[in-house]
Amino acid sequence: MTNFFAGLGRYGLWCIQFLRAVLTHGPPKGQTLHEAFRIGIKSLPILLIISAFVGTNLALQGYNAFKPLGGQRLVGMFVALAGVRELAPIIAAAMIAAKAGTEMASQIGVMRIREQVDALEVMAVNPLAFLVAPRLIGIVLMLPALTLIAIFVMMSAAYAVSVFQLGLAGHEFIQFASESIAPIDFFYGAIKAMFFGLIICTVSCYFGFHCGKGPEGVGTATNRAVVTSSVICIVLNYFVSELLYGGAL
Amino acid sequence: MIELKNVSKSFGSNTILRNISLKIPPGQTTAIVGPSGTGKSVTLKHIVGLLRPDEGQVMCFGTDMASASEKELFAVRRRFGMLFQDGALFDSFSVGENVSFPLEHHAPNMSRSERRERVEEKLRLVGLPGIYERPTSALSGGQRKRVGLARAIVMEPEVILFDEPNSGLDPITSDAIDALIQEMKEALGITFIIISHDIVGTVNVADHIAMLYDGNLVAFEPTDRFVRLDNEIVRKFLRRNLVLPEGPDEVARLPGLK
Repeated sequence: MTNFFAGLGRYGLWCIQFLRAVLTHGPPKGQTLHEAFRIGIKSLPILLIISAFVGTNLALQGYNAFKPLGGQRLVGMFVALAGVRELAPIIAAAMIAAKAGTEMASQIGVMRIREQVDALEVMAVNPLAFLVAPRLIGIVLMLPALTLIAIFVMMSAAYAVSVFQLGLAGHEFIQFASESIAPIDFFYGAIKAMFFGLIICTVSCYFGFHCGKGPEGVGTATNRAVVTSSVICIVLNYFVSELLYGGAL
Repeated sequence: MIELKNVSKSFGSNTILRNISLKIPPGQTTAIVGPSGTGKSVTLKHIVGLLRPDEGQVMCFGTDMASASEKELFAVRRRFGMLFQDGALFDSFSVGENVSFPLEHHAPNMSRSERRERVEEKLRLVGLPGIYERPTSALSGGQRKRVGLARAIVMEPEVILFDEPNSGLDPITSDAIDALIQEMKEALGITFIIISHDIVGTVNVADHIAMLYDGNLVAFEPTDRFVRLDNEIVRKFLRRNLVLPEGPDEVARLPGLK
């Protein structure tokens, strides 16, 4: 427990250092767009596949749950509530943590053990501003966009299964889905995604910067980065949902 | 210009430096030698402010690196160039991008063509002309060091630090790097600080040699006096690396030296 709080304290101090570095030096020119492109485009294929199949399964499970009650027409509502409000943001975050987060931790970890981070310092370049800031801006810009794409793909896949496999009426699916959610839900999903991006980037870069020696150190840092950021995102998701939707959840 | 005053440093219970005092002669080449794990690289990292001492002062150009703000540290570091053990080149950059990196950050008024010209000039100086566009991954170990050296001198620093310039190199490449350091020394006439456990190359290029053993500074002398010192640790270290007249076998009396 003491170790947990000590680690949390070190992470907090590191975040303050990072904030100070960004305010003092600013992110490097040209790097931010490159990182945003890399995070967004490289993560897109896997996100599309997973979102689609989460959508199909939501439709199947919703249908099986509502059918005994005669309420199978409500599948659209079920998919929209679960998918838009909860699953799409958290799945996009988990994918980004697994793909971009591990990449950040391992890249910075390798740079640390190969003395490239020290080289930046000796060349009078702040490594936090140079390495972390563009990644953070990139992820905070891209994760909301990826979340909206995940919502669209998830709903489309659920619609396809509901209509073409389960034989439900397409207009009913759309009607119940659109009645159960509001445009503000998409905005809330994007807000959640920004928080998740912040967590994934800072946690992954923190572990990369504090990587142990050798390949084992990089492996451990990468592993800790993905596990820690995923757990924090899932826990945070509950509290953000509680805050945004409260009793209406 | 650069002076360590009573510097001590520990990592946990492991004491690395014990009350080290050392004044680097300006405009000359000083080598810091000693067996592995004796605190040479830690000393170098104190000089550039990557580590801060537990006790003592590290003075560089009038700035105490132990208590300097980031702004002060960066101002001092712009006067340094450093060659890291493996070159510490950025793998995603080409050779030219690596060498021009400090210019892009600290010489914003230089045009792209001026930067390119400066980089090409430094690459020629280290014996690697015409490889500006080459990816870093295509370089050999010796070439990485040369490119690292080109990057270290591109800002035309007042002090160049070399961290184990011969480590991981075959004897021929190692000799070539020593020759390059000698050429640089003659061409640039600035302060060089070399960390090494290769005494053969060190004796050839250094004006002064400091020896660390078990975190203590056991000797700091001009090179010609250093090789004649009657200090058993120094004699042992020299005899392991240079062909010296046979003397009493001190191995048993020097634990830690193999």
